Amino acid sequence: MKIYTTRWPWQKEALAIATAVVVLALLPLVVTDAYWRHILIMIFVYALVASSWDLTLGYGGIFNFGHLAFFGIGLYGYGVLTTVFGIWPWFAFALAALASCVAAALVSVPILRLKGIYIVLVTFGFSQLIMQIVLSQSQLTGGTQGMIRIPMLPVGGHNFVRDGRIGSYYMALALLLAGIAALRFYVRSRFGLSLVALKDTEEYATSRGISAAFQRVLALSFSALLAGFAGAFYGAYARTASVDVFGMSFATLILSMILLGGVGSTYGAVVAAFLLTVLSEFLHDAGAFRPMIIAILIIGVMLAFPGGLIGAGKAAIERIRRR
Amino acid sequence: MNAAADIIFSGVFQGSLYAVMAVGLSLVWTTTGVFNFAHGALIMLGAYVCWQLVDVGGFAWPLYLALPATMLIVAALGWALQRALVAPFIGHPNIVMIVVITTLAMGSLVENAGLAIWGPRPKQLPALASGTVDINGFNASANQIAIILATPVVLMAVWLLLNRTRLGLSLRAVAQNNDSSLLVGLRPSLLYGFAFMLAAALAALAGIFLGSFKFMSPAMGSEPLTKALVVVIFGGIGSVTGPIFAAYLIGLIEATSNYFLGLYWTPTLLFAILIATLVIRPEGLISIRQRGLS
Repeated sequence: MKIYTTRWPWQKEALAIATAVVVLALLPLVVTDAYWRHILIMIFVYALVASSWDLTLGYGGIFNFGHLAFFGIGLYGYGVLTTVFGIWPWFAFALAALASCVAAALVSVPILRLKGIYIVLVTFGFSQLIMQIVLSQSQLTGGTQGMIRIPMLPVGGHNFVRDGRIGSYYMALALLLAGIAALRFYVRSRFGLSLVALKDTEEYATSRGISAAFQRVLALSFSALLAGFAGAFYGAYARTASVDVFGMSFATLILSMILLGGVGSTYGAVVAAFLLTVLSEFLHDAGAFRPMIIAILIIGVMLAFPGGLIGAGKAAIERIRRR
Repeated sequence: MNAAADIIFSGVFQGSLYAVMAVGLSLVWTTTGVFNFAHGALIMLGAYVCWQLVDVGGFAWPLYLALPATMLIVAALGWALQRALVAPFIGHPNIVMIVVITTLAMGSLVENAGLAIWGPRPKQLPALASGTVDINGFNASANQIAIILATPVVLMAVWLLLNRTRLGLSLRAVAQNNDSSLLVGLRPSLLYGFAFMLAAALAALAGIFLGSFKFMSPAMGSEPLTKALVVVIFGGIGSVTGPIFAAYLIGLIEATSNYFLGLYWTPTLLFAILIATLVIRPEGLISIRQRGLS
């Protein structure tokens, strides 16, 4: 319900996004190091995965734990279509994302009948099922070995290998922006409002004529589509695929971005993706202690601000206003 | 005949392991309403703490002393986990989500601490019983038979604790109705802590079982956690007895499928069965309508 009270007019929001775009577009002029550009690209991918997950998890209140399976379907879909079937990368990119979307629509059939913790279990089971299928089809997917030499997305003969990652940087930025714009448009539209209404008071929302089943299938498919694009892009950028994307540690990373940012906040997830990834890079020298420090920080932040960073920020603004 | 004996033996053996792992997980869920994703890390910790106590380079204790000591140590940690990761969020609307992330983070913390303390080299615990036993021409490892026989005793003890003691009654009361149990003078926060303690002790035991027949590594807890989740879903998360039956059933299905379909397809089959079960019977195969311990 708090989502409405701090709703800005869309003109202001568009202006803020435009400013962010200009800053991010000029950033490679300052960040000339290819390694740090790589980190930024990964942040963009993580941010899209986390914020699209937040559509179902945060706004929809659907305990969807299979979101990374949709990322995985995008990744492996792109990899298999391009390397095994030799399909044109851009076409494979679209097909892979579409496959994630279809998979989400299929898995939402059992989800719609369930509530709460049961959804966690089904979606968790679904993501494990996808991983097992990937593992057992090793002649296509490489099994536990993973895939290598996945083709890149071609852009008019541009050489992505020797450009200091500038090409990939702008592609990742464009993908993130398109994703965020689509997500914000969705959240602000009647669909997004219905989704939140269903989370807050399902009985009242359905009595007002909102179809719970339709809204939830739509939200799941839409968020899976974005995760699928992110996965396919990741395949084209990293040129490798492994079943690690279905693992606990990747899920913990992305989930902590959502919760640190604040559940039900698209921008919170983006900001948290940035902070967490950069922090993890700065802790590079800590070696084996890095995951431990990050785990302690996550627990500490959750204890201090259960509403995430966005929740803490909002509370601080309220306090200043009241003075 | 030999194939059937093989399938049944390995099915019952796997089922015993799954039962010990899953009961702890479902105990926490039924009493506190949250899922403990650090359960796998506690399984790992149980195996390593026991190794530290038993190993000649450590304390060189005999196993019969190290086993209960390990369970006590890990149980104390379970209590601490509940105080630190769950108790502060009771009453928060997003508690289920928050506890998922805090326990996941704690799992990663424990796993990496284990890696830092004990290193990545595989270790092994001494077997609970050595040698092989000949049952009617079927050769079985004595260690596996010891685990198969010990499991029902442990599960029976848990069942008795829940059903025949005042403490168990209070636990079940808190699970069924928090407000009313407050009215009759129970302290949910203590009981929640106790549920975590008991679950952690069972996780430690599962870890010792695992470490006694295969190599231990700091990441050894994550696969059992996944399996335990499957068992809990399959058995129905509303009860503690459901997952026990489900554990043996899944152990047998897995052994049969391993024999006929091979190792690769078994997990796929298992998860497909799982999703089908949830579509047809969302409350689990062996289910009780309400949330509560029984």
